[in-house]
Amino acid sequence: MKFDSVIIGGGLAGLTAGLKLQSAGKQTAIISTGQSALHFFSGSFESLQEAPEEMKQLFSQAGIRLHYSPGVRLMPLGTFREAALSLEDIDLFPKASFGKKVLIVNLLGYHDFFSSFLAQGLEKEGMECRIRFINLPEMEKLQLSPSEMRAVQIARIMDRIWEKVIQEIRLLLKDEDTVVLPQVFGLQDASVPSRIRQGIPARVVFAGTLPPSVPGIRTQMLLKKRYQLLGGTFLMGDKVDKAHLHEGRVHSVVTQNLDNHYIEAQNFLLASGSYFSKGLSSNPFGISEPVFGLDIDFAAERGNWYSPSFADDQPYMAYGVKTDENLHAIKDGKALENLYVAGAVLGKTRPEFGTAAGMAVRSALAAADNILKASEL
Amino acid sequence: MAPNEFDVIIVGGGITGAGTQRDCAMRGLRTLLIERSDIATGATGRNHGLLHSGARYAVNDPESARECIEENMILRRIASHCIDETDGLFITLPEDDLGYQQTFVESCRAAGINAEIIDPDLARKLEPSVNPELIGAVRVPDGSVDPFRLCAANMLDAKIHGGQVRLHTEVTGFIREGDTIKGVHTHNFQTGEDADFYAQVTVIAGGIWGHGIAGLAGVNVGMYPAKGSLLIFAHRINNMVINRCRKPSNADILVPGDTVCVIGTTSTRIPFEECDNVAVTPDEVNLLVTEGAKLAPSIMSTRILRAYAGVRPLVSADNDPTGRNISRGIVCLDHEVRDGVKGLVTITGGKLMTYRLMAEMATDTVCRKLGVEKACETATTPLPGSEERSYEAVAQKIWESPSTAQKAAASRMGTRASRIRTGNRHDEALICECEEVSVGEINAAIDRMDVSSLTDLRRRTRVGMGTCQGEFCACRAAGLLAKAHGCVEKERADIADFLQERWKGNFPIGWGDTLREAEYTQWVYKHVLGL
Repeated sequence: MKFDSVIIGGGLAGLTAGLKLQSAGKQTAIISTGQSALHFFSGSFESLQEAPEEMKQLFSQAGIRLHYSPGVRLMPLGTFREAALSLEDIDLFPKASFGKKVLIVNLLGYHDFFSSFLAQGLEKEGMECRIRFINLPEMEKLQLSPSEMRAVQIARIMDRIWEKVIQEIRLLLKDEDTVVLPQVFGLQDASVPSRIRQGIPARVVFAGTLPPSVPGIRTQMLLKKRYQLLGGTFLMGDKVDKAHLHEGRVHSVVTQNLDNHYIEAQNFLLASGSYFSKGLSSNPFGISEPVFGLDIDFAAERGNWYSPSFADDQPYMAYGVKTDENLHAIKDGKALENLYVAGAVLGKTRPEFGTAAGMAVRSALAAADNILKASEL
Repeated sequence: MAPNEFDVIIVGGGITGAGTQRDCAMRGLRTLLIERSDIATGATGRNHGLLHSGARYAVNDPESARECIEENMILRRIASHCIDETDGLFITLPEDDLGYQQTFVESCRAAGINAEIIDPDLARKLEPSVNPELIGAVRVPDGSVDPFRLCAANMLDAKIHGGQVRLHTEVTGFIREGDTIKGVHTHNFQTGEDADFYAQVTVIAGGIWGHGIAGLAGVNVGMYPAKGSLLIFAHRINNMVINRCRKPSNADILVPGDTVCVIGTTSTRIPFEECDNVAVTPDEVNLLVTEGAKLAPSIMSTRILRAYAGVRPLVSADNDPTGRNISRGIVCLDHEVRDGVKGLVTITGGKLMTYRLMAEMATDTVCRKLGVEKACETATTPLPGSEERSYEAVAQKIWESPSTAQKAAASRMGTRASRIRTGNRHDEALICECEEVSVGEINAAIDRMDVSSLTDLRRRTRVGMGTCQGEFCACRAAGLLAKAHGCVEKERADIADFLQERWKGNFPIGWGDTLREAEYTQWVYKHVLGL
């Protein structure tokens, strides 16, 4: 199998780069293990404010609308953070006090949405809160099995019964100006959150839940759908086992599922994520990049990988694959001329791209840009 | 009697204190237990959880060995829901002297321990995870015991018998009249209140901290703080306890317990100042893994869940720098006889295995002082929850066709699982998926077992002890605590404390899947939930 570019990793960075390359007429493939950091996405692109024009376009073509305005956003445990570029589900407020009276609605038996924490956080900002629970017969099946009341399972049902939820909330609503709901709407049907907003005669604010993140999974599905629509090859549930390098270039990779095919490409992009996604791996003696064995700087003494305080930024999280100015990967001190790197596998080695989701998008766009430039030569 | 007057005050909420309170309460005394932190926070909750057969001590310390096997048999009867009757192996490896096996078995038999030499092939069959290179094996009646559960059950029974418990309360000094201790001054860390309590006798059961507490009364109890480090693995790779058949040394016991197994220990003398904050060093981790792999090679490829360390409350005898040659023997001091201080008793030394006997000795001393003649009944009366021997039978009785989560609850609570509200599906929802702890079980613990924080809750229910180390259950459980205690602000701080406490045991072994989990947890709490 031959492609113009092969991208390792189907998370935010891999998909963003894939969309850009595919839109530019390249034939690409994405090799994805299936899970990514989008599964626990907060809905805000940290370290980004206004979306780069290119991102806005790629995302809106995928059906994802983004917005930004200065101020704050509400976090699931009732605290506020500075506003960042966000999915349309996420409300941004000029100031923390965004209403006078708030009705917080949870689903009976759902423990992954923190209504009492939210109420306390909002009351601290001078808002009056009332917490109510709704219980719909359609939820019964989930409630029967003790571990089924989780965001995605609920969202699947909500995709069908959102109109009933609207009716229930209309009945519960007294004189509140705002209704806070868990982010369990719009998994398959992206229009559900806005339909709920339209259907309730008050401002609707969606607050986050424990992962999995419904807006995050929806974002991944939309990006992937758009990528496939553009002709991209998405190898789902697969994993790169081996890479073949020759004279400073990556020749091909071999995956678990297609183990007798060499997947060849002119360029490769490594967007395999951090430790959690196994883009980086660690043992008692060191940190490594498992696919290509790329260079990573880390403290020789294991004790220095951590801060004993959980709340601190942890040194191990800063470690990442070394790259040159054009985001070429570095192996044994030398840049591999057709292997580029983007996203969390960079750790904090490229602070100019920002952090977290913002970094994933910006480094992916930059890497894709470099790939396009290189293929023009 | 005034509400702040008691017959006996027990200082220390570890297993010795809880056991002593239970015994005193069962003999009709009005008791108060004071603990500066939570139950089982010292050596009680920081050991192997080994139900010693005594075999380990048979050669060098026959007295301890005899005490162990007697208490072992008693605990099987009175604490069945805290015990897993796994049996144990003492294996000889090619590098060990097989000649030691004979001495070992003879010493075991002399102490009354049923030690049986078995064929290495049989050992491999009985315990597939054992090092296949073994050249000799002895089977002994070892087992495992959940020290948190045991401690909680003792305290629960003390309360059922009218005992009172003040957790998170520190003894700041003694109330003294002439040469008599009349009571204690205390400070409650949670309410900030200072209070005095009076009793005719005060028993110090503070483990290694007993040294400092006795010091407040002007009495010197020489102690020898010996740190022992241990590792918990994320799977129960062995079903029998595996020991090395040689002179006791480092990392030579692998104990299965619930869903995990524990390797330990090391032994290092530390200064008293370090007892409050013992840390596991990378060298200790390396030693535990390398030596542990000799017992069961698969631990090399098993994820380590946590590293932790405890401090043995050994009473100092000589200048042995390792602390291994000091007897684990029980020390019960009547300070009236020893130091001329009336109304004060110290119970120390000993070990988890002999807590009941220690409690009996301390209570006998108290009763002698108070002129109470009632005999000890703790060796024959089951602890609450332990009235039945099989948790499966318990679960069957309560639920007819119990789910795995309900069986798990029965294995943790014994017959007391019937106190969990049932018939309501919302109470059956799982808060902790790793350990299968339900809303009902958590609410039962919050209501009846003096829970004030997530960490307290963990010790009583195993919430957050599983493979995810509290990633998801911490904030779910915090929601229930916030509701029960009506204070959200405190709960938010509580989540942070809980996560910090989990991290403390994670970072010394922070690589591989442990690091992945830690990264994920930090991401979720910092960036997704906004803690």
